[in-house]
Amino acid sequence: MTVSFMEGNEAIARGAIAAGCSFFAGYPITPATTIFASMLKLLPPKGGICVQGEDEIASMGYCMGAAMAGRKVLTATSGPGISLYSEQISFAIGSEIPMVIADVQRLGPSTGSATRGADSDIQFLRWGNTGGVPVIVLSPKDAEDCYLLTVHAFNYAEKYRCPVFVASNKEIGMTRESVDLDAIALPDLIKRTPYKGDNFIPFEAPENSAPPFLPIGCDTLVRQTSSTHGPDGYITIDPDTIAQVQQRLKDKILANEEELTLYEEKIRPDADTLVICYGVTSRAANQACDILAEQGKPVSTLTLKTLWPVPEKLIKEKAKDYKNIIMLEMNLGQYVGEIKKALPQKEVRFYGQMNRVLITPKTIMEVIENE
Amino acid sequence: MTKNAYDFKDYIRPRFFPHIWCAGCGHGIVLGSLLRAVHELELDKNEIVMTSGIGCSSRISGYVDFHSLHSIHGRAMTFATGVKLSKPKLKVMVPMGDGDALAIGGNHFIHAARRNIDLTAIVMNNKIYGMTGGQFSPLSGQGIKATTAPYLTIDNEFDVVELAKSAGASFVARSTTFHAVEATKLLKKAIMHKGFSVVEILSQCPTYYGRRNKLGDAVQMMEWYKTNTVKIGSKKLEKNPSLIQRGIFVEKKDAPEYCEEYNKIITAAMKGRG
Repeated sequence: MTVSFMEGNEAIARGAIAAGCSFFAGYPITPATTIFASMLKLLPPKGGICVQGEDEIASMGYCMGAAMAGRKVLTATSGPGISLYSEQISFAIGSEIPMVIADVQRLGPSTGSATRGADSDIQFLRWGNTGGVPVIVLSPKDAEDCYLLTVHAFNYAEKYRCPVFVASNKEIGMTRESVDLDAIALPDLIKRTPYKGDNFIPFEAPENSAPPFLPIGCDTLVRQTSSTHGPDGYITIDPDTIAQVQQRLKDKILANEEELTLYEEKIRPDADTLVICYGVTSRAANQACDILAEQGKPVSTLTLKTLWPVPEKLIKEKAKDYKNIIMLEMNLGQYVGEIKKALPQKEVRFYGQMNRVLITPKTIMEVIENE
Repeated sequence: MTKNAYDFKDYIRPRFFPHIWCAGCGHGIVLGSLLRAVHELELDKNEIVMTSGIGCSSRISGYVDFHSLHSIHGRAMTFATGVKLSKPKLKVMVPMGDGDALAIGGNHFIHAARRNIDLTAIVMNNKIYGMTGGQFSPLSGQGIKATTAPYLTIDNEFDVVELAKSAGASFVARSTTFHAVEATKLLKKAIMHKGFSVVEILSQCPTYYGRRNKLGDAVQMMEWYKTNTVKIGSKKLEKNPSLIQRGIFVEKKDAPEYCEEYNKIITAAMKGRG
């Protein structure tokens, strides 16, 4: 057992290394910069590449070029950088380019508060691509999660050939805490499935799946386009082909909801209230519920680690026996709508706060007790 | 590949033809010059990556039978950089139009030049945005009629050669579609040059630039290239300094190349220095 004192950002970098990442490109931005700094310490000694672009757009482009050349890649930024990444995120989604993007969220809109946390980008990450294609977004609550979820993110990127987001937060990214990385059970690493066969059809894939992969630069010539393309990778205007491709891009994420569902729960017998939350807020929520339990007022918690695709089945299953559902968010209500959609028969109460300070256990206790 | 007689069909994806370029467009001549360069260099098709953006010029990457990456507008240089850093042995070519190279993509262009990364930028300069219907470009210059300049342009133009030189490109050349054989020679040198190379090729757009500005048909526009350009240092310049020079403006063979320099960082880091 080796306990380290590290911030969430370093844990993301270490997770990336554990997942086999060999390329990072980024542009300085608070509060994500220390992911870049950590990758600079970790990657070159292992023969990896870690470079600074002239802006976020370029950095993201380098990452995508490297991904298409066969590398596992990570980039990291915050909200303003996600804005600049968005044109390439759309390209990565449409052309099924695997990569992991860490978004260490800060308080928006725009430049907002560079050194203050908020879960600002939860809907932006989901809908920040042209075409509205579903994406995968994971939400860590602490440094340990940053490590573990980054490895999951790399696995999902490989399996589903898409960009995967780790939606961290300044409060997680830049807070040092004790963590024993060796004690964390990591999932087996998913290896990229190479195309086997004579006639390379770059985007031919089984239902609900991503196509196998061939990197640029090997013997087989690879062609890639950001334009609407069919399974053969050529630009197409055929409505049926386009419809099938669009459907597959959607299905490969949504049809695998259960496999993509990561969560934590603390179920208390006799509780009639379930608090649903994600990110750093869940730590305060759990603390609040511990205190309430000591006072003889049991309240259960459900912490979502997968935000997109919405783990609807999980939410329905976990919420079914509770009279009261409370949703907490470090914003003014970006995700509560998804919970309400999943639980149309329930009344979902909401508390959100976006004022640069963490939601405290005391506030959460008041919210719960004000039923 | 053994050196057979040149046959362009060996290097293209026939299903993409006929190409989308208008009758008389210069871009097909650029493609021809480029394919001849690849043939004469006896490069294997799978050691070449062509990365392009969006626009008339960028369609070139779909036509060639190399590794091809038809990416997004203005960002081709960034994807090319990622590919090159990942697999430095590949020959990475980045054909671009006016907008890809120097409007939306201008920042990436100058920074790639500054780093001297081993990419070959081919700027197909037709002074106009063709695909979107004849808007002026940062290479149009003043007094040009364009869809977005009905009262004539007031913007100054970039000089691609001067910009590339001052940004740090270690190989800079210019030719035209009239001088297709010369263009092939320059492209060959650019492709083999270790470092960031820029070849500007003046390429006519008779449909939008030529017609609107009453420059005649494609042949007349190409004749203009013949009469208004000279080889670097030609005596004709003394009489007429406004002539456009063609040839190699910069060729620094010993400038440190970015991927090689990065490799040194990795070597040092792996030894525990850094």
